[in-house]
Amino acid sequence: MGRDNEVTTDTAPGRLEDTALGPQAGGLYRRQNLITGLLCGVVLAVLGWLLSHALVQGSHWGTDMVVTVTMVCWVLGFNAGMGTFNAPIRWALGHDQSDEDLLYAAGVGQGAKRYWKFCTDHKVVGTQYLVLVLILFFVGGGLALLIRTQLITPHSSFLSPQTYNTLVTVHGTTMIVATIIMVTGPFTNFVVPIMIGAKDMAFPRLNAASFWIVVSAVPCLLAVFFLGGVNAGWTTYAPLSVQDPPAMDTFALTILVFVTSVTIAGVNIIVTVFTMRAKGMTLGRLPIFTWGSVLGTGLGLYAMPAFFLAMLLMITDRATGTSFFVAAQGGTGWLYENVFWIMGHPEVYVILIPPVAAMLEVASTFARKPLFGYAVVLGAFVAIDGLSILVWAHHMFTTGYAPDLSGPFMLTTELISIPTGLVFLCIIGTLWRGSIWTRLPMYFVYLFLWNFIIGGVTGIYLSDVPADEAFHNSMFVTAHFHYTLLGGAMIAAAAAWCYWFPKVSGRMLNERIGKIAFWLIAVGIQITYIGMFWEGFQGMPRRVAYYDPIFLRANQMATGGSYILFLGWLVLLYCIIHSWRNGAQAPANPWGGKGLEWKVPTPVPLENFLVEPVVTSDPYGYGEPETNGKPEPTEAPHEPELVPAMVDEVPAGGGEL
Amino acid sequence: MAIVTTEHDGGHGRESGHGEGHHDTPQQRDGKERLALWLFIAGDAVIVALLIFTWIYTRALNTNGMWRGAACTVANPCTDGLGNPLTHEVPKADPWYSVGIAALAVVAALVFWNAERSARDRAGRSAIAGQASLGVLVLLVAIGVQCYQFTALPFTTIVGTYASSFEFFMGSTLAHLLVLAFIGFGMWNRARAGRYDDGRWYQVRLIRFFAVWIALSICLLTFVMSVFA
Amino acid sequence: MEAKPFFSRPGGKIFVIWLLMTIIGVVIGLYAPKHLMPQMVSIEGHRAVLTVVVFTVLAAPVAALVWAVGTYSLLAWRRGAPETPPEDGPPIRGNGPLTIVWLIVTSFLCIVLLVWGLAELSADTAPHSNALQVDVTGQQWLWTFGYPGTGVQSRTLVLPVNRPVQFNVTSEDVTHGFWSLSLGVQIDANPDVVTTLLATPNKLGSFVVRCSQICGIYHAFMYAPGKVVTTTQFAQWLQSQGASAAKADLAARVTP
Repeated sequence: MGRDNEVTTDTAPGRLEDTALGPQAGGLYRRQNLITGLLCGVVLAVLGWLLSHALVQGSHWGTDMVVTVTMVCWVLGFNAGMGTFNAPIRWALGHDQSDEDLLYAAGVGQGAKRYWKFCTDHKVVGTQYLVLVLILFFVGGGLALLIRTQLITPHSSFLSPQTYNTLVTVHGTTMIVATIIMVTGPFTNFVVPIMIGAKDMAFPRLNAASFWIVVSAVPCLLAVFFLGGVNAGWTTYAPLSVQDPPAMDTFALTILVFVTSVTIAGVNIIVTVFTMRAKGMTLGRLPIFTWGSVLGTGLGLYAMPAFFLAMLLMITDRATGTSFFVAAQGGTGWLYENVFWIMGHPEVYVILIPPVAAMLEVASTFARKPLFGYAVVLGAFVAIDGLSILVWAHHMFTTGYAPDLSGPFMLTTELISIPTGLVFLCIIGTLWRGSIWTRLPMYFVYLFLWNFIIGGVTGIYLSDVPADEAFHNSMFVTAHFHYTLLGGAMIAAAAAWCYWFPKVSGRMLNERIGKIAFWLIAVGIQITYIGMFWEGFQGMPRRVAYYDPIFLRANQMATGGSYILFLGWLVLLYCIIHSWRNGAQAPANPWGGKGLEWKVPTPVPLENFLVEPVVTSDPYGYGEPETNGKPEPTEAPHEPELVPAMVDEVPAGGGEL
Repeated sequence: MAIVTTEHDGGHGRESGHGEGHHDTPQQRDGKERLALWLFIAGDAVIVALLIFTWIYTRALNTNGMWRGAACTVANPCTDGLGNPLTHEVPKADPWYSVGIAALAVVAALVFWNAERSARDRAGRSAIAGQASLGVLVLLVAIGVQCYQFTALPFTTIVGTYASSFEFFMGSTLAHLLVLAFIGFGMWNRARAGRYDDGRWYQVRLIRFFAVWIALSICLLTFVMSVFA
Repeated sequence: MEAKPFFSRPGGKIFVIWLLMTIIGVVIGLYAPKHLMPQMVSIEGHRAVLTVVVFTVLAAPVAALVWAVGTYSLLAWRRGAPETPPEDGPPIRGNGPLTIVWLIVTSFLCIVLLVWGLAELSADTAPHSNALQVDVTGQQWLWTFGYPGTGVQSRTLVLPVNRPVQFNVTSEDVTHGFWSLSLGVQIDANPDVVTTLLATPNKLGSFVVRCSQICGIYHAFMYAPGKVVTTTQFAQWLQSQGASAAKADLAARVTP
């Protein structure tokens, strides 16, 4: 084909990132960044506050309406100032953004500033999400530490009951928000397009929008502390939540905004995976993490609208006087509970499936073996998705609502243990006879195996109706879901952090510090949550600021453990930050991975591939004999000088390249 | 993973001088937008289904007999949100406004369907733009009627879950109509700017899908509001 | 040719680890619930403890299997942590028969759990004649127990032993949770509806009723003491709360 020898300087392609753009490229995007977003948000919020204040005079609408309108104006203003609405408005006016505008929006020519702007490059959005989830996780964790500190003694005066209840609520919601986007935000965005051989997500501008929309929700959540606090736990059952101070309005709005972002992101992910795969990347060759992202966010598309509606009904009950949840006026708390849990159960699988899928990639790479039972895992994920839609009322066994439905829901709930068990089979099958490479990411795989069995088994107790009558809303439940969500999903997420850190940051993680963090976390989890199981066995309810002195020992154990745990996470955070700034340069493929993300250079160029790859197998070819007598290509043919690192780059004998 | 790199677009990227990423083909772009639209509609369908669930469920439970306030008697007057005593049932709202709005939504959907036909038959900018503006007009009338209905309700404050659900459904309809009107406005501008010339009609088709969904969901909600009062 | 002895093959070693872990798990199952959970005073409470014990004992071998294989993988196939990846393992992509066996065994276990649960559920909800009616009313932030037919309202829940009780539970304001672990009962107290629950105390002793559904600022303070007493003591207690002798006696023995 003769291409190799026909490259001249006149037509030599340079890096896309170095394209020189005209001074008008980007239009309004040039002037928009986080500062303009904050300014616009605050200005519009103040205007909204003034306007709504004036309008509610003399009506029976009051503070709730004012708070709601003010925070809506904040969200709209912030996003307008960031540039989220630029593209839709241009579309509606009949203009489209030019190629130059789109290149500008992708961050060309802006250097590090692009991280503070509306930037459509999926790698930038992924990095922005990574920083956001780390902040959310550690803020949420700090709140947990305050909660556990209150519980060191049975009747501590460390926190007032209102503050305590507020902390419990905000801790729960922060963690739910953080864990929903924990892996899909940073890694689905950063890695999946590369994994499937695409240049970006299907809708890059929607991608950036989904990030900044989440960011706009965060001040709404923080405003809870300044508007009287909330008393209802993250589940915010009505009618209690209808009764709460105006902080509950901004809380509900946080969820509405967050759900919008998650829905947009979910649509983007699904469309990307189904329409933007490179040639040869059949659905059967997709890395399991891609499937996990699709199935997790796809389930979210079903569940999140229910969350949206529950919160909207609550806001109208509070702000406009509807009576959906007010029994005296024909409403019922059961309506809220049903709609909420229709979301709430699938939601835990939205949280769980992407990190578990990421962890399966780690297990395969660090056991140097193909994923065991690819089709089985896929089928299990699909079964979990489907079944999770049918189990919601196991959160309502003790509500007194429709006792005849307890049996059917117990059935569907216990059925979920079957596909979950198959996933475990595939994890241990991947490890079986593997070449176990005990680098840091693999540590987290083994910890997951330990923690999630405990979490899963204790869930089975709760699925049994009479046992649930014993333990529902006790600390047993809290221990169960922390074992599964923290001990399971977050540990799998930590494996993902360590695994893709070299690709995202260009540095190697300091494993010495990482291992210290790991052991602190591992030990901390056991002490904290076994302590909580103990509390639950003894009969301590959850969400209480004070407790019977018989629960003292168990609480001391749980609180002590929580300090160790938090310290461990802090050390891990330090490890991440320190390594990002000072770590050894990472080669393109430090783990000898076989996915497409390891075939591109680090740092990954804009649009990922200079030429679209053609895929001929899945990324689990470890140990496979040569096919047809020909070795697998280790170098990208034809263009070695253009794509210097498009090979399996495993440095010989040392880390530095 | 074995990969073989290869040219794409017949070497186009090389010629443009900076290896610029390829643009989607029209089929690729249309395919993406269609899938995205179906997914959004699926999410909206969940909300509509749950709205209907809310209505049916609270009506069936009729807690305290307060679906329409039937538990109020002279001896035991309920009070409205302001503390004023009520001694009678909340009257049923006149369904005809809602039926009219649903009919207008159907008309708008038909207009957009016709616009799609015009676009596909390459009938020219003014034909498509004309259809779009007609559709938007119909929607604006529907929005106006919907806003008016808020003032024309026989219940002045919100008492009982019937009244709450009714007004919530009205609010949902209003929100959906506004979204569709915005999209129709965009279609009008884009038709006039020539974005749908030369057979690039697929977006008009997607707008038609969406308009049909809006009309369908409004009809569903109206059915529930009228029949299950 | 001699086959390798069982315990030096992978299967044998995994069996040993599995056995050890199972034994630990079974011991925990037999010891922990009974000693960590409070004294049960009702049939339902005892049944709940039994369930926890049985489930733990049944789960132990399953958990141990996963953990044993995981542990063994670290013992036998660990290649350390060099800078470059170790050589690849065998390209095992799956094992159909193993998957099917796993599926069948886990499904069977699931059915066992389900049958157990359904049997328990129907025992707990079986209607009883002559059940003592107790009205439970929750409000922010206290419990009131009423004994219909006697006019007694109390902040302490006193129950006669060996007689089924039907709790009729409601709330004055928001949703509360009527819960007593020792008594083996939990049901929400919802405003303007009455939910019902049955229990049969079968042991003299005391218990605590705690609110299990967060209900506002003082949710942690919403608890009430309870006692299971003899029938005679129950009648005496009712009288001390203001019931007439006749009504107290009637309520103690027969549903009013």
